[in-house]
Amino acid sequence: MPAPLLDREFLERLERLTLHWQKSFPGLVGGHNASRFAGAGQEFLDHRNFHHGDDLRAVNWRAYLRLEKLFMKMFQVEPRVPVRLLLDSSSSMLTHGGAKFDYARRLAGALSYVGLVRLDSVEIHAFHNRLGQRICSSGGRSRFPAVMDGLSAIEPGGRTDCVAVVREFIGGYSQRGLVIIISDFLDDNGCERALQYLADYGHELMLLQLWAEEDRVPPWTGELDLRDVETGADLKLNADESSRERYTRAFDEYCAALQALAVRSGGRYAGVPVSQPLENLIFGELIKVRGIA
Amino acid sequence: MYLLNLTFLQFAALFGSISALALALYLLDRSRRRQVVSTLRFWAAAGQPAAAARRRRIQQPWSLILQLAGMALLLLAIAQLHFGKPGPAARDHVLILDASAWMNARSGKGTLMDIARLRARQYIRALPARDRIMLVRADGLATPATPFEPDRAKLDAAILASHPGAMALNLDRALAFARHIQAQTGGRAGEIAFIGAGRTVESASPAPVPPNLRVILVPDAIQNCGLRRVGMRRSAADPDTWEIYVSAHNYGSEARNVTLTLDFAAAAGSGRLPVGSRTITLPPGADAEAGFRYHSASAGTVGVELLPHDPFPADDRAELEAPAQPVLPVTVYSGQPELLSPVLASNPRVSAVYRKPSEYRPDDRGLVVLDRFIPPVRPTADSLWIDPPASGSPIPVRQSIESARIVRWDGSHPIGAGLRTKDLRLERASIFEAAPDDAVIAAADAGPVIVARGGTPKIVVFGFHPSLSPMRYELATPLLFAGVERWAAPEVLRRWEIIGGGVGVVKLVVDEDYSPTGVKVAAADGTALPFTLRGRVLHFFSGAPGAVRVTAGDREYVYSLTLPEPWEARWQPPAGAARGIPRFVPSLDPSSDPWPLLAALGAAILTAEWILFGRGKRWDGRFRLFLRPGQAKPHARPVEVRR
Repeated sequence: MPAPLLDREFLERLERLTLHWQKSFPGLVGGHNASRFAGAGQEFLDHRNFHHGDDLRAVNWRAYLRLEKLFMKMFQVEPRVPVRLLLDSSSSMLTHGGAKFDYARRLAGALSYVGLVRLDSVEIHAFHNRLGQRICSSGGRSRFPAVMDGLSAIEPGGRTDCVAVVREFIGGYSQRGLVIIISDFLDDNGCERALQYLADYGHELMLLQLWAEEDRVPPWTGELDLRDVETGADLKLNADESSRERYTRAFDEYCAALQALAVRSGGRYAGVPVSQPLENLIFGELIKVRGIA
Repeated sequence: MYLLNLTFLQFAALFGSISALALALYLLDRSRRRQVVSTLRFWAAAGQPAAAARRRRIQQPWSLILQLAGMALLLLAIAQLHFGKPGPAARDHVLILDASAWMNARSGKGTLMDIARLRARQYIRALPARDRIMLVRADGLATPATPFEPDRAKLDAAILASHPGAMALNLDRALAFARHIQAQTGGRAGEIAFIGAGRTVESASPAPVPPNLRVILVPDAIQNCGLRRVGMRRSAADPDTWEIYVSAHNYGSEARNVTLTLDFAAAAGSGRLPVGSRTITLPPGADAEAGFRYHSASAGTVGVELLPHDPFPADDRAELEAPAQPVLPVTVYSGQPELLSPVLASNPRVSAVYRKPSEYRPDDRGLVVLDRFIPPVRPTADSLWIDPPASGSPIPVRQSIESARIVRWDGSHPIGAGLRTKDLRLERASIFEAAPDDAVIAAADAGPVIVARGGTPKIVVFGFHPSLSPMRYELATPLLFAGVERWAAPEVLRRWEIIGGGVGVVKLVVDEDYSPTGVKVAAADGTALPFTLRGRVLHFFSGAPGAVRVTAGDREYVYSLTLPEPWEARWQPPAGAARGIPRFVPSLDPSSDPWPLLAALGAAILTAEWILFGRGKRWDGRFRLFLRPGQAKPHARPVEVRR
């Protein structure tokens, strides 16, 4: 029996947190995220006769003054806006011992728990070059075990294609809302364009970038024969201290670009090494960037 | 500086080969590392050009230097590098440690043996560490205590386990053994070192002194007087009296007055009683004798002690076992006992009982004499039949003749030993029909007149009565009866001679009338000891104190070998022999052998190279902080962009 991804003490500490929405979206949101749109619905649908027990606030008083009959105004019910988590399950998440993928699953589980406790609807989508397994849950913390089962059942692997995934996501889910992307964002074609597209569509982005130590500061020098875990491409080179520094600098620049994209589009960004404890990320970095309140 | 296991040429060849191989591997594809990464996009951004398929130059010189240094250190450890000049090749020494009885003498607070052990340990410490030593304990025999052994701890244990024996030193034998064993090993012969006092037995033909002899003499300026020999025998006049003869020797250089005391402890355990003492003067280097007489028929232990004691007390006391005087019971059935009582009473070791023929009992013990009497049942004990009637004689009577003249005696038989009377004429005698196994002791012209039949019981038949014939006036009559008694019970009438002496080779001159086939030499526990007999001289060897019984004819010699074997001469080392503890080239101390340090250092360098440049580079993150303190930390904080 595998060890639980999150222990009970940690979950109890999560119960006082709330997923923070930077924007307001039409529809019902759960928890403590207030919407600037009043009422149960905004779109007028029809009138009907008044019956005892109906809410007097929905009576069309103008029609009553004119016709001396009570008519009720009916509105179109707004759908609930879920919190969507896109979990990277590509092969790059498995390098260096698979620590990134484990960390990502635990982080996704923790955020789902925070959302469920505040009665948010949570949808988790695994992705690599397309959307994969989908885990939907709502209705409180009692649904959390199903979320963890779903996370544990995700089979990682495949090549990352952010553009294809975003295209599929927008095509499949037109309702705008909070989109939390947990990934290493290591796509040879880059993720900036896809993420910008997602932000431009109206989603609020929360980018959580994970990296292993070797991803940021490669420990190798000398003659290397490097192979991309996703594409299988080889690269032979001589690595010395200066090349390692250039590598790290390029990596940091990419992270900065992702952060700038998120901030520019009204979203949030946090990049963390997987050696950092999950607790420190949630109660430190995510609160600091107002991803969690 | 030198190499123990390799020559410098061999070392250079090996190191050159290994270095060439390492360099070749290095230049081929030694350090190209295959690594799976998450992405290649940042490596491309790093802008490092791709490596050539095969290197043309050394790009990591420190890696190669560390490898070669590590392998050189390991090779030096294998070759056992030593500093200083190489010592001589290992040699095989023989250490002869004097373990003679004299080494038990006290000198100062310890014994001579303690000093010899100390010298022996100093000697083996002084030898080079690689030399092998065989320890030989020498007394009368040369006994190797160890093989050629380089381990000083084992040699120490063997030296400490060496104790003085009871024999004198036979140095010629020990030196001959040492030369022989050195020649047999085939190694490089070292020294033959003798450590001891050098008090040896006289040697008729001294062995040549080996040229590689080293002598470490133990000083022994000790004045010593000791017992050399104690003899004890029954008096011929009074069998209950012991005649005791004591010989003492002064080994010192000054005359001494000593007291010889005699004590006796009965076998019944009534304690030790002093029975006499005598003061004698011992001139230097000379013997002195003293005699004692002690009246006792019972068995016991006679102790002889020399007083006052000196630093070598082992030869100050001797103890001899005195056996009881046995008696032969003789029962005479005769109507005229007065005819036989004179010849039977002449032997004090015979107890005769006279009975009438009517009182005959067939179960008498000892010897039964039947005087002209035929019992209804033959006696179960040995019997002497005197002129038995022809009808019941145990040996058939062929005829009875008048005026018989004894013409022949069998001097080889114990009964007829010493009897030569040939002009004896008997008035009447019975001539017996002797069986082939019967011994004819005396014979007349017509046939046997005295016949002895062996077996159990023994039977002797006289065809005449000695006391009723002219023989009663002859000396042959008591001799004949004494011969019968000795033949019937030789163990009772055996003559005893008890000698106290030292262990080692014992020389004994036996009586003339002994039978070579009847000579026996046995230890106290009954085991037979080997001996040689040349003429009347018997030699046997006993290396340990104890009693040895020698039986020859009717005489038994009891040796109580409780004294140490006396030494007879002081060995003078040859002038050309080395002396004292040697001073060799400083021996190699195994603890200063640098090969473990070299091996550890080589392994550490190779490990460091592996961590820094090899496959172990994956641990680099842990070590890099120590190696390159100025480099960026691997655990960087998340990237922050100011909004």
